[in-house]
Amino acid sequence: MVEKQNLTSLGVPKDDFLDHVRRSLGRTHPVVPPPLHLPLTENLADLEGRAAAARERLEETRGELADRFEGTARARNWNVFRTSSAEESIGYITQLAGRLGISRAARADQPVFGELGVDSALRNTGVELFVAAHDESTSGPRVRDRIIESGLGITGADYAVAETGSVVVVPRQGLSRLVSLVPPVHLAIVRPKDLVESIDDVFLFRRLEYLRNGGDMGSYLNFITGPSRTADIEMKLVVGVHGPREVHLVLLA
Amino acid sequence: MAEVKTREFVSASDSAMKDASLRRALRQVGGGFNEARLEAIEEVSWETWEEWREEARRTKIHALENLDYYLELLHDRVTAAGGHVHFARDASQANSIVAEIARSRNVKIATKSKSMVSEELDLNQSLEANGVEVYETDLGEYIIQLAGETPSHLVAPALHKTKEQVSELFHQELGVPLTDDIEEMARVARRVLREKFLSADLGISGANFLVAETGTLVIITNEGNGRLCTSAPRIHIGITGMEKVIPSLQDLAVFLRLLPRSATGQRLTSYVSMVTGPRRNDDEDGPEEFHLVLVDNGRSRLLADPDLREALYCIRCGACLNICPVYGKIGGHAYGWVYPGPIGAIVSPALVGLKEAKDLPHASSLCGACREVCPIRINIPRMLLHLRHRLAESPLETENATTTGERQAAQAYSWLMSNPAALSAAAKVGRLVQKPFVSGGKVSKRVPLPLVSKWTGGRDLPALPRQTFREMWAQGLESVAELRE
Amino acid sequence: MTQRDEIHASLFVTCIIDQLYPQVGVSAVKVLRKHGVVVDFPEDQTCCGQPLYNSGFTQKARQLATRVLDSFSLSDYVVVPSGSCAAMLKVFYLELFAGDSELQERAAELAGKVYEFSEFLVKVLDVGDLGSRFPAKATFHSGCHLLREMEVRQEPLSLLGRVEGLELAPLPQADTCCGFGGTFSVKYPHISQGMMDDKVSNVLSTGADLLVSCDMSCLMHIGGGLSRQGHQVDVRHIAEVLEGLPEEGGQRLG
Repeated sequence: MVEKQNLTSLGVPKDDFLDHVRRSLGRTHPVVPPPLHLPLTENLADLEGRAAAARERLEETRGELADRFEGTARARNWNVFRTSSAEESIGYITQLAGRLGISRAARADQPVFGELGVDSALRNTGVELFVAAHDESTSGPRVRDRIIESGLGITGADYAVAETGSVVVVPRQGLSRLVSLVPPVHLAIVRPKDLVESIDDVFLFRRLEYLRNGGDMGSYLNFITGPSRTADIEMKLVVGVHGPREVHLVLLA
Repeated sequence: MAEVKTREFVSASDSAMKDASLRRALRQVGGGFNEARLEAIEEVSWETWEEWREEARRTKIHALENLDYYLELLHDRVTAAGGHVHFARDASQANSIVAEIARSRNVKIATKSKSMVSEELDLNQSLEANGVEVYETDLGEYIIQLAGETPSHLVAPALHKTKEQVSELFHQELGVPLTDDIEEMARVARRVLREKFLSADLGISGANFLVAETGTLVIITNEGNGRLCTSAPRIHIGITGMEKVIPSLQDLAVFLRLLPRSATGQRLTSYVSMVTGPRRNDDEDGPEEFHLVLVDNGRSRLLADPDLREALYCIRCGACLNICPVYGKIGGHAYGWVYPGPIGAIVSPALVGLKEAKDLPHASSLCGACREVCPIRINIPRMLLHLRHRLAESPLETENATTTGERQAAQAYSWLMSNPAALSAAAKVGRLVQKPFVSGGKVSKRVPLPLVSKWTGGRDLPALPRQTFREMWAQGLESVAELRE
Repeated sequence: MTQRDEIHASLFVTCIIDQLYPQVGVSAVKVLRKHGVVVDFPEDQTCCGQPLYNSGFTQKARQLATRVLDSFSLSDYVVVPSGSCAAMLKVFYLELFAGDSELQERAAELAGKVYEFSEFLVKVLDVGDLGSRFPAKATFHSGCHLLREMEVRQEPLSLLGRVEGLELAPLPQADTCCGFGGTFSVKYPHISQGMMDDKVSNVLSTGADLLVSCDMSCLMHIGGGLSRQGHQVDVRHIAEVLEGLPEEGGQRLG
């Protein structure tokens, strides 16, 4: 990255701005507020304890969670294919590619693909599959171009939220922000261990990650809940504006 | 800052009411959104809904009471994540900050996802003046940008446009064939804007929430343009009001439940995107730079004002617009500035000046429907009353906008109502004076009193009866039944 | 009626009923008396101050409100045949006197005694048989303050449901404001009438020949529109309907 001129202090200096805010609140000196719900500087052990309890709860209710997730996801217009067979899930993906008549697809580089073996199956059907894996030869503009050319983007899920029917993806190394967004069709593969009950669970686990990483959230996180949509013209629902018009879930449970 | 036309409220609302297609659109949008909202609430139960509202309100109260603390924390965490935070006192400073980032980074093309604050600042105009092409990418915003208009609703900015008007606009501006197929219009926008996304140097977004604890900007969208704006260009600028900050990630959950349900009746929007700094070194992609511009632009005045501070709790869901019978009649443009509807009637006077927007606090029948639907339980009618009080009785020249006539009328009314004997005498005089103007028990439309003629323009007014109640009572109620003929 | 101690109630008749619709006050008194209430009418009462309060003239509204506090300081109950004026006394006085602890305390004391007319009949008197008939096809309009400040929703409907000969048709969009809004109705008459037009359409859609409400201000507005537009829909305060029509056919006066 080229070093740019320092732009950290455009506008009002921070301390002046905060001082003005403080005076508007009728104070002259900073005050540390009492925590609202949880202390922001929670200790890691406490948070780990809570996260462990949450994981135990999720483990015990796995089957119900899968049912509930399937229901909410369908209601949010995901096409859900539920199976416990790797073979069937691969079959679903290759059939989808066939139905779409695509020649190119892109997928993220996530562990689930190692477990399934989607790549060879897709390539056997004649689809050119691009893996957005992080290495010198593919990073940068080429990654983007290959994704743009793809008719189908395939990802795993970092979390699948039963409450909302959302797939949460955390873009990072091996997972471009664009795979689940730019191709007109997105397919996400959800494993039982990806299932969580609620948005609160996601944030609990993210806070834990955050503290474990020494205060790094990662640059991006997306809740994806169905296809791209708009109702900006006469309140008529149109599916697929800037994001995918068609979204699929392979639920391995 | 965006052009202020709040002084034209009376004439603008009058023309709006004569616009048949606008009225049809308003019925469709308000009714549609509100039905969906109710359905989404009933699904989780009213009891749960009330718990969520309570929690969200508590969080907003706390965050605003300690805004200085959370802004500092936010600043530190965004900076730690590799982003830059800039503070802007007013609109022109905010615009300069963005222009300076664009200039120093040699930005030619910017794409923008929907942001009410950028409308407030008139950011597009400022960027264009600095040689940057700016493209709105939310479909509704794109339509009104092409039309050279402003949003008329917080959530559905182009609700005032019919599909025929959109088709005509696309035909004129983009050279595509006319169509009555809304899906085709959306495809056109996708095609045109996809190119812009991929060639843009800068993506601009607003923020629905800012999480102080982690330095995270949260945007809630449906189309995917927000994700593209924050992912594809090499620079991302988030620009928003300073009141958007909430303490922690876990405080965010309840707002994700409240906002989409209140806005469109969705359980969750298609996308919730959370941005924390620029791309990391080993990220696949994402912007190289992240800037957050936090704007005051009059908000500190609301913060300092205990009677109006709760206006800053607003999460811009638009539920108060959808339920408001006044908004439902006149639409958003009549309000004359960026923020329409009941919440706009408070925010606009606070940001553009109370006297400048003196008609807005009165643009309400105080029916209280807005307070009832507000997910943060903002007491909008109470604040409208406070603003009316300042307009009528403030000792400050900058606030008091009462005319001599209004003051005298209030004086006369209060005197009359403080003197029951005078009130009785006035009723007697009134019965005599009204005689030439009464027929069939109604007052004629031609009474030369402005207050009366404003009533009788479209409504009959009953004539004063032969006796007041107090006169009947004084005579003994048993005997009055016959006197009423 | 079951044996009980005599109930004494003061009528706050409201300035609009006093000056424009005195027969409503008469009906209210008759109904209350019929159910055993000893009604008094503090004769120095005038207006609750809401028109001034809603126009921003808080200081002047306080003067009128203070008069009300004085006039009704000795009352056991204060019955108000208007949801809106009742809300002023019960809810808004507390806001109006914020910052003056003595007056606020008196306002709180008053608030505990204030009932809207239909609310009083149901919550305090717990009336059973109304003994009234009013043959008509009616629909009911609830004022916004009655709904949202007084939180009186079912009481008037339950009373009307027990009036002999009265058929009650539900009003579509019953929770939407009619557009009166006090000074709003003359400050922005075009918007106010636009809202009224919707209400008029909804009333007409029920096929009712009678519109009933707990608020004469809304009825003056909606009824003024109905009559201007030439629709033959009678408008009545709930007290008049509960009083009922005389047993032998004669046309009701008013």
